[in-house]
Amino acid sequence: MGFLFDGLDAEAYDRKYDDRQLVRRIVGYFQPEARRMLLVGFTMLLDTLSRAVVPIVISRGVDEVQLTQDSALIVTYGLLVAALGASAWLFNFIRRSLTAEAVGNVVLKMREDAFDAVMKRDLSFYDQFPSGKIVSRVTSDTQAFSSVVTLTVELIGQLLLVAVLMVYLLFVDLVLTLIVILMMPFIIGVALAFRKVARFTVRHSRRVRAEVSALVQETVSGISVAKTFRQEHAIYADFLKLNRRSFWINLRMGFVFTGIFPLLNLIVAVAMTAIVYFGGLRMNAGALSAGDWYLFAQGVALIWFPLTSIASFWSQFQLGLASGERVFALIDSEPKVVQRDNRVLPALRGEIEFANVQFSYTDKERVLDNFSLHIRAGETLALVGHTGAGKSSIGKLIARFYEFQAGRITVDGVDIRALDLSAYRARLGVVTQTPFLFDGTVRENIRYGKAGATDAEVERAAYQIGNGDWLKSLSNGLDTEVGERGSSLSMGQRQLVALARVMLQNPAIFILDEATASVDPLTEALIQEGLDAIMKDRTSIVIAHRLSTIRHADRIIVLKKGQIIEQGNHEQLLAQGGHYAELYNTYFRHQSLEYIEAQRRAAETHAN
Amino acid sequence: MLNAAKSEFTVANAYRYDRRSAARWLISHVMRYKWFFLATLLLYIGTYGAYTASEALIGQAIGAVIAPERFALLPTIALAILGLKLADSILSLIGLLSIETIAQRLEVDAREELYANLLGKSQTFHNQQRVGDIMARATDDVQQLNGMINPGVAITLETVIGIAVPLVFIASLRFELLLVPTLFVALYIVSVIGYVRRLNPMVRRQREQFGKMNAGLEESISGIEVVKASAQEAFERRKFRLAASLFRDYFVRQGYIEARYLPVLLFGIAFGLAFMHGMWLYQQGVLTIGDVISFMGIMGVLRWPTFASIFSISLVQAGVEGARRIVSILNTETELDQNSGGYNQPIKGEIVFENVSFGYDRNHALRNVSFIVRQGQIVAIVGQTGSGKSTLTQLINRTYDATFGRVLIDGVDVRDWDLNALRSQIGKIEQDVFLFSRSIAENIAFGMPNATQEQIEQAARMAQAHEFITSFKDGYQTLVGERGVTLSGGQRQRIALARAFLSNPRILILDDSTSAIDSATEDEIQKAIRQVQQGRTTLLITHRLSQIRWADMILVLDAGVLVASGTHDELLRRSPHYRRIFARYDMALPPIEISAAD
Repeated sequence: MGFLFDGLDAEAYDRKYDDRQLVRRIVGYFQPEARRMLLVGFTMLLDTLSRAVVPIVISRGVDEVQLTQDSALIVTYGLLVAALGASAWLFNFIRRSLTAEAVGNVVLKMREDAFDAVMKRDLSFYDQFPSGKIVSRVTSDTQAFSSVVTLTVELIGQLLLVAVLMVYLLFVDLVLTLIVILMMPFIIGVALAFRKVARFTVRHSRRVRAEVSALVQETVSGISVAKTFRQEHAIYADFLKLNRRSFWINLRMGFVFTGIFPLLNLIVAVAMTAIVYFGGLRMNAGALSAGDWYLFAQGVALIWFPLTSIASFWSQFQLGLASGERVFALIDSEPKVVQRDNRVLPALRGEIEFANVQFSYTDKERVLDNFSLHIRAGETLALVGHTGAGKSSIGKLIARFYEFQAGRITVDGVDIRALDLSAYRARLGVVTQTPFLFDGTVRENIRYGKAGATDAEVERAAYQIGNGDWLKSLSNGLDTEVGERGSSLSMGQRQLVALARVMLQNPAIFILDEATASVDPLTEALIQEGLDAIMKDRTSIVIAHRLSTIRHADRIIVLKKGQIIEQGNHEQLLAQGGHYAELYNTYFRHQSLEYIEAQRRAAETHAN
Repeated sequence: MLNAAKSEFTVANAYRYDRRSAARWLISHVMRYKWFFLATLLLYIGTYGAYTASEALIGQAIGAVIAPERFALLPTIALAILGLKLADSILSLIGLLSIETIAQRLEVDAREELYANLLGKSQTFHNQQRVGDIMARATDDVQQLNGMINPGVAITLETVIGIAVPLVFIASLRFELLLVPTLFVALYIVSVIGYVRRLNPMVRRQREQFGKMNAGLEESISGIEVVKASAQEAFERRKFRLAASLFRDYFVRQGYIEARYLPVLLFGIAFGLAFMHGMWLYQQGVLTIGDVISFMGIMGVLRWPTFASIFSISLVQAGVEGARRIVSILNTETELDQNSGGYNQPIKGEIVFENVSFGYDRNHALRNVSFIVRQGQIVAIVGQTGSGKSTLTQLINRTYDATFGRVLIDGVDVRDWDLNALRSQIGKIEQDVFLFSRSIAENIAFGMPNATQEQIEQAARMAQAHEFITSFKDGYQTLVGERGVTLSGGQRQRIALARAFLSNPRILILDDSTSAIDSATEDEIQKAIRQVQQGRTTLLITHRLSQIRWADMILVLDAGVLVASGTHDELLRRSPHYRRIFARYDMALPPIEISAAD
């Protein structure tokens, strides 16, 4: 039953590897399982033979007992049939167990290879693919692949049965076999036609289901609002309409699906009747025995199911190859960030130099163009500019998350491409715009900054941020569970955890992409205090969104289209009335206390 | 403590279902289509009758051929076989269609029932639960009801009938032939129950592990910057390998259980023993060879029902579990006393909290909070997450009732107010503004469906929304949502403000925790909020310094305790909490005066 309905909603996929390459690759993965697969083939053969032989034995038995009337013979035949049934079961059991083991191992290896490949990629890879897609390649595509392999093995077994039976039947009676053969294209044809219609119906129904789902979700979320405004009847009417419409569409799909089996049965029925009639004629003519006739009737019953499975086989096979291909494409993609050497800097001071750097994320526009900047050790630098000016790129290049196209970047005078990345990154503290937390406790998240840190060290880092007052706002202090992605904590609290993590790591270089989300003023104060503590005596590169941060920086760098156009401190730059002033008026003005006071006074005099 | 089930919304002529238990509920739903169900039953019996008869006839055909005098009957018998199989196909088609109809109707009816039920529940329920989540779960569960009937119940019916009917035929052939098949059926039932009991937990464990493996991987990838920056790739690799290996183990174990499916073995042995039995009776002269072949044919009919039943069991189980969850939602009651005879006057806007506490055991969201808000004042509520800001506002419109202390509006305890009168005069704007997939005009006029275009535009102007609305091609008729424009947070907020203008509440509660990226939008929102504050008591949960700085009164909450209340200048002098906020603003703070009370 399953085969006929499988894979109806498969999406078209652009294939780059050809079938033979893929098959060879897949076979390569199965090589460590060679012995198991051999046994699988062997037991499959035995299983097939056992099952195929049963109707033959019965037919022989019927004939012989008619002739001889020997009791012992009856018992022998009966037990033989039972034994064949039992052995078929046994071989099937062994085959399926071995298949499960082999496929399980192969899929595990594929997943491990895929994961390793994913970890090696640089950040441009993660920009290209949303995390959901990557995850689905490592887990879902491999899963789909494993299902297809299992199914294929099943199917081969079934086809073998059909083949063996047909061969035997050919030797028994040609005419009747021809009738059976005639039936086959009809069954396969009907099954294929059904799949075409079904594929269309499924897609349509799926679309409507999604619509209903979305509308239901939306109107349900809005029930509270609807109740506030006493509009329940209005949304109910909308819902009713859509619900009823989805009923008709799903009913139609249901009818299409249920219709197929009676139809297939009908075809088999016609074939069966023909066999009964013509078999009877031939038996009357003495060309056929009763047992043989029974054999044909049984044969038809046994093969129609495998035939319907053939219809779905080809698309299943393609699906499996497509899944496999997606996984291999992932494993084969080349990382862009490649280090030339493995130098370790024992005492990283944090002096950074950009010399004529060219950088673009994609082949499109250049983000940094002939960019040069010298950052002194321990300096706090604030980067400001419109979106796309190149602010975050600078931080990402320093962290060696991306490869740049031309120029040189040195850290403490050493080419960044020559550094041992693990050792270098251990001395680098990065806080992203939306701080990322792992599912676990606050303590564990902080500890992530330094593998093997003691509880005392973790606590000390936590207390260095705003006197640890932020811990009081957590439901269970350091042992508070943060939830998936830190969802149990507020945005502000997540930032504080990230800061504590950096504190523990004690990096030489600190890179911060300030969050833009608003945070309550109390937490904001704590965050600012934490930043003060971290940025003291450390090279800090901040993509600034807070006026407070900018004003406390040693130097402000104003970027426009990948170039530095202004530099200085807040008062100087504001007085210049240039790009910085424009940025200030667009993004930072409302954070200024003086401005707020001035606005209010203006509003009051306006009202008077 | 619970009132009789009162609904705030009812559908005319709704069909009443039995909600006392999941089983009763399901049956009451199916019974609504009892004729369809009866039809299905009869059709299935007819189907299997025809099918089994046709198999039996094949044996008779052989008999006809062996006995030369009956040879002329062959074409008749062949035609009869064809006719029966045709009947089988048609009857089974109609039977399947019938039960498919029941399945689809069950899904649609259940969804309607659930939806109407949710609409009828009180505001309290909707504010307490994440209704979107409930409905998502319910959507899954409702869909499973469909699968439970067809193929679930359908196949179960087929199995029962598909075993009973052949047995009847066998008995009519020769009663003693029942020996082997009956034994087989008994052992089969036992082995299937055992099989399902072993399989289902393994399937569940596998599915859960897949979910865990996925979630872990998703996490590693989403946080890849942190992973790389902390040089923790090896750690992540170990984590993933563990998860993937465990999954492989469950996968293989499930494979073992499935491979071991005993009914196949039982059937194979039964087939052989049945053959033996049949042939022995033939030797006794009790059966003809045609009868033996009929018998083997009928035994063959048993093959499909026994195989199919594995699918149906888990489907039916899943459906019943889903039904249980749905019924529990349907039966949930959370209602505050409506108090329809209570105090019902236009609200002037004075709010008093007297030693209010809220919470149970050790989880107190609010502790002993007291303050007085005068009519028309603007109050800024400041505090960290979990400090009790939302809870405080929820006690004002009686989303919850205080566990200790009193909340008074215009000097009258909120519990003595007519709940309807109270709520209709208090407006609330949430942080995540909800807009319907309708036009902007319809969204603004949501509470006042008869509002004129002028009134709508006037409200939009006050909310500083008119400019951006008219900048859209369709202006006020622009559709919001997936099929329309996506609005920014600031734009949604202003539409919500316009909506509030039209409904003209006496007390406005505004959760203004959104951020503006640019100063221009910020100014607009300031203006809009200033407009909407006029002449009504306004409570603002806010992060904006401008709101805080210029509020008539500021309430500072810390872990449920009101640590400071007063004006900006007063708090700067008195509250260390409050001073900290302004500490880094390079402004001279007035000298601190700490009284004994703080």
